[in-house]
Amino acid sequence: MSAHNPPDSMFGRFIDELEETVIALLLGAMVIITFINVVLRYGVNSAFGRWVEGVTGWDLPGGLIWGLEATSFLFAWLVLFGISYAVKKTSNLGVDAVTNLLSPSARRVLTLFAVAVCMGYAFLLLKGAWDYWANFANLPQTTGRWFPSGLEEMKRTSYRSWYEVNDIPFPEWLRFIEPWINDGESYEKIPRFIPYAILPFGAALLLFRFAQAGVRIWKGDEESLIVSHEAEDAVDEVAHLNKD
Amino acid sequence: MDVVILFAMVIGLMLIGVPIAVSLGFSSIVFLLVLSDTSLASIAQSFFQAMAGHYTLLAIPFFILASSFMATGGVAQRIIRFSIACVGHLPGGLAIAGVFACMMFAALSGSSPATVVAIGSIVIVGMRQVGYSKDFAAGVIANAGTLGILIPPSIVMVVYASATDVSVGRMFLAGVIPGLMAGVMLMTTIYVIAKIRNLPKGEWKGWSEILESGSDALWGLLLIVIILGGIYGGIFTPTEAAAVAAVYAYIIATFVYRDMGPLANKDGGPNTSLMRKPIALVTAFFHKDTKDTLFEAGKLTITLMFIIANALILKHVLTDEQIPQQIAGAMLAAGFGPVMFLVIVNVILLIGGQFMEPSGLIVIVAPLVFPIAMTLGIDPIHLGIIMVVNMEIGMITPPVGLNLFVTSGVAGMSMMRVVRASLPFLAVLFVFLIIVTYNEKISTILPNNVMGPQINCEGAPPTNQMERAFCDARTN
Repeated sequence: MSAHNPPDSMFGRFIDELEETVIALLLGAMVIITFINVVLRYGVNSAFGRWVEGVTGWDLPGGLIWGLEATSFLFAWLVLFGISYAVKKTSNLGVDAVTNLLSPSARRVLTLFAVAVCMGYAFLLLKGAWDYWANFANLPQTTGRWFPSGLEEMKRTSYRSWYEVNDIPFPEWLRFIEPWINDGESYEKIPRFIPYAILPFGAALLLFRFAQAGVRIWKGDEESLIVSHEAEDAVDEVAHLNKD
Repeated sequence: MDVVILFAMVIGLMLIGVPIAVSLGFSSIVFLLVLSDTSLASIAQSFFQAMAGHYTLLAIPFFILASSFMATGGVAQRIIRFSIACVGHLPGGLAIAGVFACMMFAALSGSSPATVVAIGSIVIVGMRQVGYSKDFAAGVIANAGTLGILIPPSIVMVVYASATDVSVGRMFLAGVIPGLMAGVMLMTTIYVIAKIRNLPKGEWKGWSEILESGSDALWGLLLIVIILGGIYGGIFTPTEAAAVAAVYAYIIATFVYRDMGPLANKDGGPNTSLMRKPIALVTAFFHKDTKDTLFEAGKLTITLMFIIANALILKHVLTDEQIPQQIAGAMLAAGFGPVMFLVIVNVILLIGGQFMEPSGLIVIVAPLVFPIAMTLGIDPIHLGIIMVVNMEIGMITPPVGLNLFVTSGVAGMSMMRVVRASLPFLAVLFVFLIIVTYNEKISTILPNNVMGPQINCEGAPPTNQMERAFCDARTN
């Protein structure tokens, strides 16, 4: 599919496949949940829905109360999980009009500098993501404003694993985590550290992928971090139609 | 002063090849850490909330998905056939049909580059075969492709609505008349050029061909009815409409057109009927085509949302520093009226549109100009349409307009040739921009009559300061 950076090993192909499948599944789940909610709202609240309820004696739900919140979280998961994939496949959008005018060696120096900026960004995002998530998982935040200078001392207010989301009910099969993280008290809704976990995970993966991109550029396997427009792959596929 | 440094940093980083998203995010984070007491944790939180907290933006992945299913599912060919049947017999017919096809595809997808690729790749080849010059073909498509963001649904409009809290439904309606107008202006120009230069015309294939190709393309075109009808009928929210559109597009592509999924015949033969392979009802959900389309749409969503999420952090910096108020104050003190203000907006967007992905640019510029526009009494919906049209023109303005890149790739021509080729039509769009900018009614008449005005100055008193300023400016 993607024109950039085909994997060179079995393992690389497996990881590619895994990431692509997760992206597809997240988006698919978002669409299906939203769609089902529309169907339920009109299907169950219609005369037909009432009739079915009357005949069978069932009480059909008029919508998934947790649907909207779940979709929003899935959206955040999709993007935070996916940004590192976009770095791996060099599909982030950028401006190459100026760098294209430069000599290859000057371009390489600038691109390496750009990688450094990107790694700085991913690092700051990672620190922020950890600090935000840690207390929800009963873990210590880091101290320091720019760089983590150490770990905070856990105070009573630092244990926040009991914070729950608004709507999504806690699934029964997950009850086994309660003794580990919530002193055995039971959750009614899922605890917040679950949806927010994508933040440190995504940011760490992003940092790792930028580092990998830096290595590729250093070795000369690749020239750039960016593509100039979103349809670049699609253009490559149709360009042969108009070759002279 | 701080802001000048901030923007210089953003642009400087972009120019040396840092991804747009990181340029915006990195500069904003550095600024927040230096100038305010914001912590990195709260920046990470706002990054998460960019997705999880903006219900309107949720429409973006769904619209992208709907248009991916349509593009993979062979809708483009059917639309092109239908438009050739309708207008192909006029002088310059195939070029006019190309514009018409771009308009219809724009009504299914929310993006300009996607429109250029889907329609352009087929139409440019076809035009050259019947004797048009490649330059003329490329010029037509580069310009007509920009209609993708003006004719609803439009991703850029969703972003504008989310950034300024106006209604998506009104924005979509407001785009209808200007979109049709721009299309007709382009078609008329082609017609005149064709008369003068004696360009080839196709043959009239009769009403039966229109009927036949029309009913074939109908399934795809019904999508726009579902989206607009659903929103304005009050049946669902724009976000839900987008999700329903995605499911509908999937069903059409897999089970009706059968150009993708288990029933498609990749060797070019006729596609399998569902009757002969009923198991497809199950396998379609796990078919590789389905997964690939979901993944491609997901990937595009990710790159766009990465930019938008970081632009939202930048917006956060700007509002924290009270920049919009400062600019508004400075402009009002300088005695700028609505006309001068709109000219400035035009210039900012034309320059910005050179570098930036349109939706990211809207996130940044909209909060800057919105309060000023309100104080000057410019209708928020009208302002949105002006911004979208500016963005369209930015996409085909040399040196680095987005659509110029895409077209030069699709047509296999150098940038300079595409620039020259699209200049005459660019002039037409410029005239269009001026008409739209100075005639509010073109944008607002439809939404105001169907849904009522965005801000109602009669009746109940305005609820916030901005609306009051707007109503004051209006009555004076």
